Amino acid sequence: MTESQPQVVHRHHWIVRVTHWANAIALVLMIGSGLRIYNAFPGFAPRGESFCCWPWEGSMIADNLTFGGWLGGARHWHFAAMWPLVMNGLVYLGFIWLHGEWRDLVPRRGFVRDALAMAKFYLWIAGEHPRQGKHNALQRGAYFVMPYVAAVSVVTGIAIWKPVQLGWLGALMGGYAWARYWHFLAMAALIVLSVGHVIMVLAVDPYSLRAMLTGRYNASLSPEARNARPLVNLLPRRAAKAEAPDE
Amino acid sequence: MSDRGGRGAACGDGRPMGRRGFLRTASGLLVSGGLLAACDSEGPRSAQPLLDFAERQNERLERGLFRHTSMARVPGGARAAGDAFPSYHIADEEPEWDVATNGTWALAVGGLVRTPLRITLEALMAMPRVTQRVPHYCVEGWTAVAEVTGVRVRELATLAGAHPQAGYVDFTSFDEGYHESWDRESAEHDQTLVVYAKDGQPLSPKYGAPARVHSPTRLGYKNTKYLTSVMFMADRNGGYWTDRGYEWYGGT
Repeated sequence: MTESQPQVVHRHHWIVRVTHWANAIALVLMIGSGLRIYNAFPGFAPRGESFCCWPWEGSMIADNLTFGGWLGGARHWHFAAMWPLVMNGLVYLGFIWLHGEWRDLVPRRGFVRDALAMAKFYLWIAGEHPRQGKHNALQRGAYFVMPYVAAVSVVTGIAIWKPVQLGWLGALMGGYAWARYWHFLAMAALIVLSVGHVIMVLAVDPYSLRAMLTGRYNASLSPEARNARPLVNLLPRRAAKAEAPDE
Repeated sequence: MSDRGGRGAACGDGRPMGRRGFLRTASGLLVSGGLLAACDSEGPRSAQPLLDFAERQNERLERGLFRHTSMARVPGGARAAGDAFPSYHIADEEPEWDVATNGTWALAVGGLVRTPLRITLEALMAMPRVTQRVPHYCVEGWTAVAEVTGVRVRELATLAGAHPQAGYVDFTSFDEGYHESWDRESAEHDQTLVVYAKDGQPLSPKYGAPARVHSPTRLGYKNTKYLTSVMFMADRNGGYWTDRGYEWYGGT
């Protein structure tokens, strides 16, 4: 083997690409406006009571991490952007269900073993990139969990929006204060997943950015082909070099 | 095409970035730049019609969701907030009804009614009373539990003979020009009261004495304090916070 030839494959259907970027925008709007709403009462304890599980009662989010300008403005954005967010999410989930892409995202048999192998590789405990298909086990885990966390944030959000008319929903979550708490934690989990995702795309597989824009992916540049860890073996040449001794 | 350069990978098959690629990259940068620049701002002004549209649709949905049978319940073991119940007024000084200049306080019930009424506090307290322990939902996100005692607005509507065509109710106050208008359905919910006592005590000036509107079905700002009149109307007429950009419906 001399040099790896480009193996361009069609990776993402246009519906997946459009919903991915629409979701990114809607999520930023929802999180920014949500944090501005949170700042109007940065805590969870009902008046005259305490709340067990929040050590930062009263601490506000930095203004420039928020969106909406003021409470009313943020509420308008939040209650408007929630519709594209939910509808877009349903289109995405409906599509991957009908089109079969869900199979690439559902953890397979041996998921824990595969995820551990991947973590070992990233931590330099193992030397070779584990074999993977479209996504490695850690990615599968993250992409699989994300819609569930998003669903939690939507359902808790509805419970906060209509604490009386849909009071049964809030009651399922332990009441209004707890629904706000779960809503906040779900948002925090979405931030962790999204920021982790963006960092890993840039640090491990920037070529996948092209796949999410044009749909096409050069499989000869995959992290597996490059034996890529975060920030290591980013360039294709290094992968070619690594293969050179085999000649 | 050689694959040696990183450029080939970044720009696709080694082809130089085409017009489409450039447009994609440029629009991506514009969107993310716009989002960054929008931080802590109200967002682009051009989005206002979309936000207004969403608010109208949300209001339709919320009015569709509204049920007279949906009752706010206080979670078991929740204590009344008591003095920890926040309060505010828009006048510089805490509004207090001055009998010397204004005469005896009486609640006016008017507008599209058969019989306009003036109900003194004594008469109000003689009407069928309701005591309920309910949460108060503030637009800011906090809640406070209170046990309030008063008369259902529906009772007042019946007594005055409010016209069926009066789809809206305006609650006005003597706190400067504070008022908020409601849809009639919410105003006639079982838990929407004209309240004159809180936690077993007559309403103090801090909480809107001598009488205020209180309903868990509406956000706090819709619940006019320092109440002077209940006006039945064919059209809505906004409200103090509504005119300052908060949504008119403000339902829970």
